[in-house]
Amino acid sequence: MKKRTKKLINYNAYGWFFVSFALILFCVFTIYPAFESIWLSFQTFDEGAFRFSGLDNFKRMLGDKLFFKSMANTFLFLIIQVPIMKVLALSFATMLNKPKLKARGILRTAIFLPCVTSLVAYSVLFKMMFSMNGIVNNVLMSLDVLSESFQWLQNPIWAKIIIIIALTWRWTGYDVIFFLAAMQNIPAETYEAAQIDGSNSWNTFWKITLPQLKPIILLTMIMSTNGTLQLFDEPMNITMGGPANSTLTMSQYIYNQSFVYSPNLGYSATLSYVIVFIMIILAIIQFRITGDDAK
Amino acid sequence: MKKRFIALTLVVALLITALTGCKAEKPAPDSSGNAKNENNESNNDSTDTSEPTTLTVWAWDDNYNIPIMQLAGEYYAKENPNVSVEVISLAKEDVYTKMQTGLSAGGTGLPDIVLLEDYVSAKYLQTFKGSFADLTDKVDYSNFLPFKIDAVSNSGRAYGVPLDTGASILFYRTDLIQEAGYTDADMQDMTWEQFIEIGKAVKDKTGSYMIVEMAANKTTLLRSMMQSVGKWYFDSNGEISIVDNVALEKGFALIKDMKDAGILYEAEGTGDRAGVLNNGTVASIVNGPWMASTIKAATDQSGLWRIASTPRFSDVEGAVNASNLGGSSWYVFESSKNKDIAADLLNKVYANSTEYYEDIMLAHACVSGYIPALSGPAFETEDEYFGGQKIYQIFADTLAKVPGVNYGGYVAEANDAITAAFAGVLSGDTEIKAALEAADAQLKNQLGR
Repeated sequence: MKKRTKKLINYNAYGWFFVSFALILFCVFTIYPAFESIWLSFQTFDEGAFRFSGLDNFKRMLGDKLFFKSMANTFLFLIIQVPIMKVLALSFATMLNKPKLKARGILRTAIFLPCVTSLVAYSVLFKMMFSMNGIVNNVLMSLDVLSESFQWLQNPIWAKIIIIIALTWRWTGYDVIFFLAAMQNIPAETYEAAQIDGSNSWNTFWKITLPQLKPIILLTMIMSTNGTLQLFDEPMNITMGGPANSTLTMSQYIYNQSFVYSPNLGYSATLSYVIVFIMIILAIIQFRITGDDAK
Repeated sequence: MKKRFIALTLVVALLITALTGCKAEKPAPDSSGNAKNENNESNNDSTDTSEPTTLTVWAWDDNYNIPIMQLAGEYYAKENPNVSVEVISLAKEDVYTKMQTGLSAGGTGLPDIVLLEDYVSAKYLQTFKGSFADLTDKVDYSNFLPFKIDAVSNSGRAYGVPLDTGASILFYRTDLIQEAGYTDADMQDMTWEQFIEIGKAVKDKTGSYMIVEMAANKTTLLRSMMQSVGKWYFDSNGEISIVDNVALEKGFALIKDMKDAGILYEAEGTGDRAGVLNNGTVASIVNGPWMASTIKAATDQSGLWRIASTPRFSDVEGAVNASNLGGSSWYVFESSKNKDIAADLLNKVYANSTEYYEDIMLAHACVSGYIPALSGPAFETEDEYFGGQKIYQIFADTLAKVPGVNYGGYVAEANDAITAAFAGVLSGDTEIKAALEAADAQLKNQLGR
């Protein structure tokens, strides 16, 4: 008995030893900056030094129209893009989950492939595709849909739509993998039983597949909400936030405040925490909506 | 319930760390810059160059300011053989972000010398007061153009040494202009109205657009127009000057006229802009001397291009056919161990050597702000590409007429506010006055005024 306890302690010590490297790095580079930036958000950067300014940054934020514009843009992306993507991902996953489907491996790879491309690289590709002499204009002109090149990225509405298309292309496959994995965990017996009871496939999807996917849908919803609220690479590379700030996102605005405009890291930290609180609230709402099943 | 609480707590923790963790920038450790500084600790604050010293410099153009600074190192090494210069090539944006993180961290990981554009320097001089070495007494400023000294100064002290100037010049295709029925003489010292007239003829007769401007940010022309009448987004006291800015008002109207007349090509990026200049889609551009090298990339168009002074406002008092578009200057960091050697190099080479300026002008079309180097035999050089014009003489003549303005620390904010407001004017949704008021409101909001 004694020997066994000793052994356990040893295991614990080794365990902590191996974990400690990651833990220390995590504390230094993640936990510490997170708390430091809370302190930062109460400070103003002025003439080379930080100075405590209380709630000034929050007051400034409340009157900052450009920040609210960027927030509106980000939420527009969130409200339109995320549902489209979830529906698409669910349909793809259901399709790929059919055992009879031919070339399943190839299709699965094809759908997941966009997820391995670099954010900047694919953004630049989309920018090229929708440029004045890009492939989209060329194809539309050769089909006589357009008589002359259209400046997609200079139109406030089209610029938004293109970013939504780009996001959907890049991230749908990512959700599909999650849904597919979850679907494969649904016991085949439930489907069999449904089949015997004479349920059609539409009903089976609504009554059996969807309810059992709920926890994973919640997870992907939180991840997508997170990702969209932090949206940066795509608008930065495709539109630079333009035209006329119509695709400016919150993260890009924070970047501008830190590095493009007269640098004010304190204000940037404040804005970052505003996003954090928005995300917390959204996460709570999502937990509430999906209810207790999501545990 | 407990499970749910734990789950929620975890989500919250995840969000906080994921979000803010990446926002709080750690100072980027720069091995090259640091190592150099430490190596030379023995040279602390002295101009004693008896020990081998390497000065590190950050700059961004492999065909322009990097070889230019390397040459300065060679010039300085003639008298101080122990000093060598290592220029590190970074993207321009990276120079600024890296420098800003280094300055925020109290001066770690920085080189000895950095190149900054005049449009951004005031921003850094103001926000990071005390981080740049005061060069007022270390460099001989008596021979620089006054508007360049303004650009490198803050509160009456000079911190930078001017490298180049951005004389605003009209580059145009003489063959297309002639095809439209006009001559080179018509292109000299003209007004913007005349320019638009010629532009319409060019579009009619040749199908080429008259002028190119960036689609996403149309402030190049506006900035050129503003400084040509001594105006800027801010007045000389640094107060916002947008609603009552006659240059912006006229500029908006003129550029809208160009767009409505179909003579304005809106380029999607610098690559697109170079492309349309090189393939004849566009007949002219207003830009700085450096545009010459972009244009010359099309070797088949040699002899077809000419340069002329920038068009001027016809109805604004004090309008001249000259303006400035940017330009950049060298700055020394207060934290540099070799700051006195760095200042000495800038003084000896940039403030005392006309020979050096001749070299960099002929090799890289770099037109300086150093008055003794703005005349001399090099300016007699005829450029075959531009039909034998003495282009350097034209750049220098322009510089002498440029009105000085105080750029101030918020050019990026002002550019963005104007760009956003101007988009509405160009699409016809907003009246010019209303757009100026909107830009003014956004800028005031941004600056908390």
